[in-house]
Amino acid sequence: MGAAAAALDYDAELMLRVKEGDGASFGVLLDKHRSSVVHFLYRMVQNHAVAEELAQEVFLRVYRSRASYEPTAKFTTWLFRIATHLALNALRDTKHERSQEHLDDDTSEMPVRQISDSRPSIEQYMVYQARLAEIRQAIGTLPEKQRAAVLMHKYEEMEYSQIAKVLSCSESAVKSLLFRAYETLRARLAHMA
Amino acid sequence: MKCPIETRESAEVLLAYCARKLDAARTGILEEHIRICPVCREFADAQRAVWEALDAWEAAPVSADFDRRLYRRIENEVGWLDLLLRPLRPWVARNALPIAAAVAVVLTAGVLLDRPAAAPPAPEESAQVESLQPEQVEKALDDMQVVREFHRLVRPDPGAPLM
Repeated sequence: MGAAAAALDYDAELMLRVKEGDGASFGVLLDKHRSSVVHFLYRMVQNHAVAEELAQEVFLRVYRSRASYEPTAKFTTWLFRIATHLALNALRDTKHERSQEHLDDDTSEMPVRQISDSRPSIEQYMVYQARLAEIRQAIGTLPEKQRAAVLMHKYEEMEYSQIAKVLSCSESAVKSLLFRAYETLRARLAHMA
Repeated sequence: MKCPIETRESAEVLLAYCARKLDAARTGILEEHIRICPVCREFADAQRAVWEALDAWEAAPVSADFDRRLYRRIENEVGWLDLLLRPLRPWVARNALPIAAAVAVVLTAGVLLDRPAAAPPAPEESAQVESLQPEQVEKALDDMQVVREFHRLVRPDPGAPLM
């Protein structure tokens, strides 16, 4: 049995215990997946407060669905399907409100990255922030499904087949989404090398 | 090796290589090719730059009170239902039998009252039309002829010759 299959069994087993009324198992699932869900949602909607609110809704839906839960798919596939659905809805709901100013305003929420020294100079910090803004803008301008596919591929290290299940499309559609998305990102970010 | 950049399908190999998801054997073959192919080298360099740029994008840590807020929402959901049912619980426990009987009566009444109404009676006119037979019509015409003859005999036309 591979690591993925073992992980499938473990998460599904935990969820089945939640179904039987074991609240502690829900805590274990929350501990295990909290960061990845919040970070995925943050990179999708590019607003930390909204991302946490959506992540709360994701785990609330998982908890609400415990009684009807059946381990028909990998737990993370189900989890990210809920997260992606909520993120896409949030993006559609706020499409008219989003602007470049909004993207730029959110940089204050970012952690200060330690570049080489433990205390980066103000110049290094400003260069880093400028690069981040560029990266976030490049990701932010991708069509929503391409964005979700890239984030799952890059940060969650999901296989094409799992991304396909999350996005409810074929594997070849995912490959096409990723190819187009990386093509756009190469055009916008290749100069950063 | 055939140049992977030529088709989209093969370019996946380059994407997998840049994502460090290619096995050692295929990585070796591809690196040999990249050394001699400027187009693939350019593609791989650009894709590596994207990969590294995305690596630099760290997400902010999750708020310390994330779990507390989530559990409060879960408790509130459970709490609302509990709050609604709590005042009724002792009363329901004490009067279970009468409540069950009352529910049964209401359901029975509902079923009885909900029965479809009887079919409306057919209009009288159509019944008459249906009951008329040709013999009856013929007899009625004969009767009318007899009455007409009777009238002619009782009140003869003054201009007409007597029989």
